[in-house]
Amino acid sequence: MRVLVSWLREFVEAPADVASVAEALASCGFAVDGIEGDVVDFDVTANRPDALSVYGLAREASVAFRRPLRPPTLAPAPAGTAPMRVSIADSGCGRYALAVADVQVGPSPAWLAERLTAAGVRPINNIVDITNYVMIEMGQPMHAFDMAKLAGPELRVRRARADETLTTLDGHDRTLDESMLVIADRDRPVAIAGVMGGATSEVSATTTRVAFESAWFRPSLVRTTSKRLGLKTEASARFERGADISAPVAALRRAIALLAEIGAGQVTGGITDVYPRPAVAPSIVLRRSRLAKLLGTTVPDADVERILSGLGFGVTPQADGWQVTVPSFRVDVSREVDLCEEVGRHWGFDRIPATLPPPSAAPRPSAPAVAQARLLRRLLCGAGLQEAVTFTFIDARAAAPYAPENDLVTIANPLSEKFAVMRPSIAPGLYESLVYNRNRQAADVRLFEIGSTFSRSRGERRALGWVQTGSRGTHWSGSLGAVEFTDAKGLAELVAEAVGAPVDVAPGDDLGWLRPGERAVLTIGSERAGWIGRLAVTPDVDAPVYAGEIDLDVLALASTAGLRPIQPLPRFPSAVRDLSIIVDERLPAAELRGTIRSSAPSTLVSVREFDRYKGKGIEPGQVSLSVRLTFRHPDRTLTDTEVQQAVDGIVEALQRAHGARLRGR
Amino acid sequence: MSVSDLSTLQAEFDEALSQAQSAADLKAVRDRFLGRKSGRLTALLKTLGSLPPDERRTVGAAVNALKQTFEARLAEREAAVGSPAPFEGVDITLPGRRPALGRRHPLTQVRERIEDIFAGMGYQIIEGPELEDDWHNFEALNMPAEHPARDMQDTLYLSAPMPADASGRRASLLRTHTSGMQIRYMEAHEPPVRLIAPGRVYRRDNFDATHTPMFTQVEGLVVDRDISLGDLKGTLQVFAEQFFGAGVATRLRPSFFPYTEPSAELDVECQGCGGRGCPLCKYTGWIEVLGCGMVHPAVFEAVGYDPEQYTGFAFGVGIERLALRLYGVDDIRMFYENDLRFLEQLAP
Repeated sequence: MRVLVSWLREFVEAPADVASVAEALASCGFAVDGIEGDVVDFDVTANRPDALSVYGLAREASVAFRRPLRPPTLAPAPAGTAPMRVSIADSGCGRYALAVADVQVGPSPAWLAERLTAAGVRPINNIVDITNYVMIEMGQPMHAFDMAKLAGPELRVRRARADETLTTLDGHDRTLDESMLVIADRDRPVAIAGVMGGATSEVSATTTRVAFESAWFRPSLVRTTSKRLGLKTEASARFERGADISAPVAALRRAIALLAEIGAGQVTGGITDVYPRPAVAPSIVLRRSRLAKLLGTTVPDADVERILSGLGFGVTPQADGWQVTVPSFRVDVSREVDLCEEVGRHWGFDRIPATLPPPSAAPRPSAPAVAQARLLRRLLCGAGLQEAVTFTFIDARAAAPYAPENDLVTIANPLSEKFAVMRPSIAPGLYESLVYNRNRQAADVRLFEIGSTFSRSRGERRALGWVQTGSRGTHWSGSLGAVEFTDAKGLAELVAEAVGAPVDVAPGDDLGWLRPGERAVLTIGSERAGWIGRLAVTPDVDAPVYAGEIDLDVLALASTAGLRPIQPLPRFPSAVRDLSIIVDERLPAAELRGTIRSSAPSTLVSVREFDRYKGKGIEPGQVSLSVRLTFRHPDRTLTDTEVQQAVDGIVEALQRAHGARLRGR
Repeated sequence: MSVSDLSTLQAEFDEALSQAQSAADLKAVRDRFLGRKSGRLTALLKTLGSLPPDERRTVGAAVNALKQTFEARLAEREAAVGSPAPFEGVDITLPGRRPALGRRHPLTQVRERIEDIFAGMGYQIIEGPELEDDWHNFEALNMPAEHPARDMQDTLYLSAPMPADASGRRASLLRTHTSGMQIRYMEAHEPPVRLIAPGRVYRRDNFDATHTPMFTQVEGLVVDRDISLGDLKGTLQVFAEQFFGAGVATRLRPSFFPYTEPSAELDVECQGCGGRGCPLCKYTGWIEVLGCGMVHPAVFEAVGYDPEQYTGFAFGVGIERLALRLYGVDDIRMFYENDLRFLEQLAP
């Protein structure tokens, strides 16, 4: 709302200094968007349609500066009724007032045109300008019809009929429907109620008699009509927030006064005012104790009364507070708490003492997910991955490999195709960030993100995702090698160990977005907990890209973080034996490990692969796998014979189960 | 040639050696006296053959003794000057071997900083769904259908509602704020309440230097028997001082949110100009930091709390906006590009 301060000063003795007017109104709730010369642009919140007017803001200033408020000059109400009938056929119109005037259309005087321009309204002609002037000044939207262009001596407020059309003042043809309220003459709609008038009855240079409309329309009706038509106007902005149902006649009297003042014409007949169910001012009790409790300070009675009556409320003191009647222009005030706000903002939030709420109960614990995410972030940063944040909505094409189409959560009104689908996986977004960095000369990219993933079948799941490509790093001492599957696996193991969850791998033949032969499902027990592997399609990266994702909800359930009891330290030394076994290269190490475990005595405490070798000395199709076996007895030192027997048993079992033989034999 | 010649040579040697400073000087002395081709002593030895046998023996012995003296004295000096010994150390100036250092994302860093401040004041940290139903995002927050305030937050809707949750509600939109967490928590817990709820939120905003369709908020909620606007003010003052630094000026300015009454916005003295006015603060001297207010009684009624017994305050902080200030970044898109050249400048 752009306000010319000299206009505002017609109604209240505010300081001429523009900045102090802006500051005073800002501190009672009207934020300043900008100041240009004598014009202040106030950000009027959606609950205050009454302040979308110079007079409304003058009322606030009168309380802020403790100066009396002077109302605008109104013409005396003319006797009789207007020479134009009005009928209301729909409850969406709460009041319709009308006055007819004989006019001489021409340009407005400079002072009036300048005020409108300052307020951001383009001057048109003296009659239209008067309607806009009254709207800016008093907040009541008005409209002027050229009487000569109306069919019949009556205006009807009714619903539009399906497929009725109207060319509005902006020259657009509008197709109306039954949800919309119109002003119609005998034959057809001539205005869309509360939104915009029609072009045919527009006031023009040849107009000699006009009908001024000043009405009240139900906010929700104007709002939906404006939305359906995609047409927002100064009038609709005020009606949809709630205009003052008491204002229509006063606005007409103001327009009549202005007609006379600028010599643009004179009223003929009286004012017709159709007001079927006059509003009753709501009455609210404001308790002194409630006010003090909510604000945290005691405002003196005299100030409570000064503020509320200054703002237009009727205030009657009672034993424990006040009986307060709400003026019709304050559509936002309906409860005691609303009055507390009125008192508070004019008393000044800066005068309220700052206190702290005393603790009244033991603090409750935070969600475990918060600590889990904090742990994982630090773990992965320490492991050399950079945390990323990507959008949770992605392109449908990027999402396609990760979930069947009917399982995707899609957005009905996306900003663009790029942001149309809620991500089924974090990987596509991270891949995009990886490409972004590769295109900017970063060869080694390692990113992770913690956030939600979405599907219709499983809903919203918290997940950790990562991508990695390039080398493991560079060092003067020699190459650290390129990122491989084992690096992705290593991160999954790192996370599993950190949270104490038994994460295992299983073949991932249904992971279509990963390259066959280099993909795996992560499991915890029988439940899927994520996946790792090499992305199958990476058109923008000329190096393998590995990725992984872990379902943090599944991980959290299996986690033993912080609950791991400490085992007593071993009291006897362990015995270590290394075996190099030659087996078929397709045999998974996990199977060998299983055979070793099941054939070993309980003294075997660990099995750890330490080398895998193919090539010279090993037949094609075979591989030499070296494992380190550690044996330990809790109560005594193992003898060499015992250990050797255990190893012999293991070797025999490996031979039987896998045709394995020891290397070098 | 006589023994006295030798003592002159000895004096010359002593003089030369005493003036030698460096290894190079010593080398020159060695060459001058002991050099195989033109060394003075070498030359003397070569002349021994021309002497009579008796004299040859005595002079020869004296020359050899002198040569040993020269050798010993030179070796002593050379050792003291430090001739290069075999290198057995490491080059301590080469880079060490280590994993790369990752950084937490700036939005995480700001979020955790806010979490820590409020956790220190006894607030619990909770999280909630990003897909939300109309009740929790709007209706229960005093924004019934057709409420104009719904326009303040242009909403992204799902093409089809999600399957019903345990309470029978079906998520139909991307939450426009974290305020829905107030409702979810109060529906499930009795007062007193003291929580913050961080998370991602969504609006149908264009993606440009100052807007983004996804951003991050931290919601705060305190409910008890005697919570006042003064308590809100004091709490936010503590937050501002711990976040921006002790002594930072703040002001609470009346505003409007449907779910709080009274409503306010917290401004913090502009860090760019110290409150004198600059382009950053649009010459107002203040930066808007968060929206807040006293919980609207209609919100309490929606969750079954008695507004006569309980009062409370709520606030919502936009993390991106704070991060822009904190890191001196002028384009919000930088937080979503994940450019390593940007992220690697951060502290971990």
